[in-house]
Amino acid sequence: MARRKNTFWNRNKFKLSGLILILPFYFLYEQLQPPEFPDVWEEKSVGPFEVAIQPLNNEAPYAHHEDWVKDFSAYINEGQVSDIRQGYVNIGEEPVPLDTLESDDVGILHGSELLQHVHAIAPQKYESEHRVWVTLQTWDGSVHKASWELPENWLK
Amino acid sequence: MTQRQWFKLHGWCSLPIWILFCFICITGTIAVFSHELTWLFNENARAVNPNNLAAQPISELVATVQNAYPSANITTVMTFEPYLINAVIFSTETIPSGIAYVNQYTGEIQEVNQGITFINFMRSLHGWLLFPWQSSYSVGYYLVSAMSFVMIGALVTGLVIYKRFWRAYTQPKIRAKQGKKTLLTDLHKHGGVWSIWFLIVMSLTGLWYFTQQVMWHADIDIEAHPPLVEASDIPLGEKADPPVTFADAMKTTEARFPEFRPSYIMMPEHNRDMFKIMGGGDTVFFDDYSYRVNINPWTGEIASETTPETMGALQTIQHIVDPLHYGTIGGIWTKAIWFIFGLILSAMSITGFLIWGSRTVKAAKEKKTPLRESLQSEGAN
Repeated sequence: MARRKNTFWNRNKFKLSGLILILPFYFLYEQLQPPEFPDVWEEKSVGPFEVAIQPLNNEAPYAHHEDWVKDFSAYINEGQVSDIRQGYVNIGEEPVPLDTLESDDVGILHGSELLQHVHAIAPQKYESEHRVWVTLQTWDGSVHKASWELPENWLK
Repeated sequence: MTQRQWFKLHGWCSLPIWILFCFICITGTIAVFSHELTWLFNENARAVNPNNLAAQPISELVATVQNAYPSANITTVMTFEPYLINAVIFSTETIPSGIAYVNQYTGEIQEVNQGITFINFMRSLHGWLLFPWQSSYSVGYYLVSAMSFVMIGALVTGLVIYKRFWRAYTQPKIRAKQGKKTLLTDLHKHGGVWSIWFLIVMSLTGLWYFTQQVMWHADIDIEAHPPLVEASDIPLGEKADPPVTFADAMKTTEARFPEFRPSYIMMPEHNRDMFKIMGGGDTVFFDDYSYRVNINPWTGEIASETTPETMGALQTIQHIVDPLHYGTIGGIWTKAIWFIFGLILSAMSITGFLIWGSRTVKAAKEKKTPLRESLQSEGAN
C-alpha cells in the first residue's frame, strides 16, 4: 500500500460524504414548516360563480410532458363546485376554446367542493398581453369566462 | 490488473461514500419492517379482529368515513397486510389532509392521522433522503439509486481480490483471537460472500430505480395514463351525479378479476375522471399494483385495464422490482431474511471502513516510528 501521511485530511476525507446527511434533517425541518403561498388574487364573477385564484408560487411555468403548466388553487366563493360540469384554466392572449380543452385533461379544474386545483395550460414564457383565463361550463351547456392580468413580478 | 490495483478499486468503490451508504443501508433495513413496526408501536394501526369477522368491502369503509365526516372529500383508499387497518384519505374544512385508520373487520375509525406516517417517512428517508421533488425528479433519489453502481463495483472487485471466496461457504472460519483487524477482515469477507445474492438483488433493483428516475425526469411514460371520460358521456341539461357508485366500480373490478386484492384506489377528481383501482392478484412475483382497472363513473364500463399478462417489458420490470427490493415476496419470513441481510450489508460498510482505517493509521504510524520499534511491535502482535 502506498504510504499516506497521517494528516487530518487523510484520516477524515472519506467521512466527508456523511455531511450530506445534514441535508435530510434540514429538509425534514423545512417540510414541517407551514407552506407560504402568494396572495389570493381578487375575486371575479365567472357567470353565476364568484371565483378567486391563487398561484402556488411566483415561479415560471414548468414542463409536464409536452405541455407547459402553472399550478393554481381556485376558490369557488359563490356557487357550488357541483354546479360546474367542467372547468379549465389557461394562460395566454385568448381563452382556449372549450372544444380544444375537452380533447385533453390539461388545465382541468379538479379537487373537491372545498378546494379546486388546476395545472393551468401556460406558455413557456409570459408576455405582458397574457392573461389567466378561467373557462367554466355549467350543466345547461353555457360557457362562462373571466380573466386576470399577470402580476408585474411575473413579467420580469 | 494487479491484485493491488483491484484492491485499490475495491476501496474506491465504497470508501469515499461509506457513511452515506451505511445510512442508506440502515434506513432501508428499518424500512423492511416499517409495516410491522407501525403495528407494534401504534395500537390504532392494528386491525384487531377478536370475533373473527370477515373484512367489510372497502366501499362500506368509505361510507363509514363519509358518515363520520359528512363534509369529507375522500380521495384515496389504501390497504395493507390483513393485520393493518385500511387507510381512507380525505379532507374537510378543518382537516386539510386526514388519513382515517379504519378497522376493516369492525368498521371502526381508530385514528385520524394528520401528519407524517412512519411508513412514508422511512420510505422517503431511505429512497430520496427527503430531498424535495422538483416536479419529476429529486436529487436525493439519484444519489441513493446511484449507490447501485458502487455496490456492484464493490461486489465484483471484492470477489476478484478474495481468492477462492467459495470457501466462505464450505469452510467458514472467523478468527476471533488473532487481533481486531483479522476478525474484522474475516467478518467483512464472510458477510460479503454470504450476501452475494443480496448484493446482486439490491444493485440490480437499485439500477432499475436509477433508470426509472432518468425516465421520469425525461418525461418518458412507462405506464399509460388512465383514459378520460369523453365530454359527450357527461349528460347536458340537468345537474347530474355520476350514476356509477364506488361500490359498483369495485364490484365490476372483482367480477373482472376474481382474485383481485385491492391495494390503492383513487376516486374521480373531476367529472371527466375515472375510478382508478389498483391491486394485486394471484401472481407471485408481481407487486400489489399490477392489476389496474379504470372505470368510467358515467357508463360503468372498464375503460382500460392492465394485468401482468398484458404488460410490456419495462412495465413488467417495474412491477416485479419492488417485491424483490422490499423482500415482500413471501410475507413476513422473506422480510426477516431481507432485514438480516440488510444488517449484514450495513455492517460491511462499517467493517470495511474500520479495516481501511486501521491500515492507514498503522501505515502512517509505521512511517514515523523507527524500523526496530515497529519490528518489535510486529513481534508482540
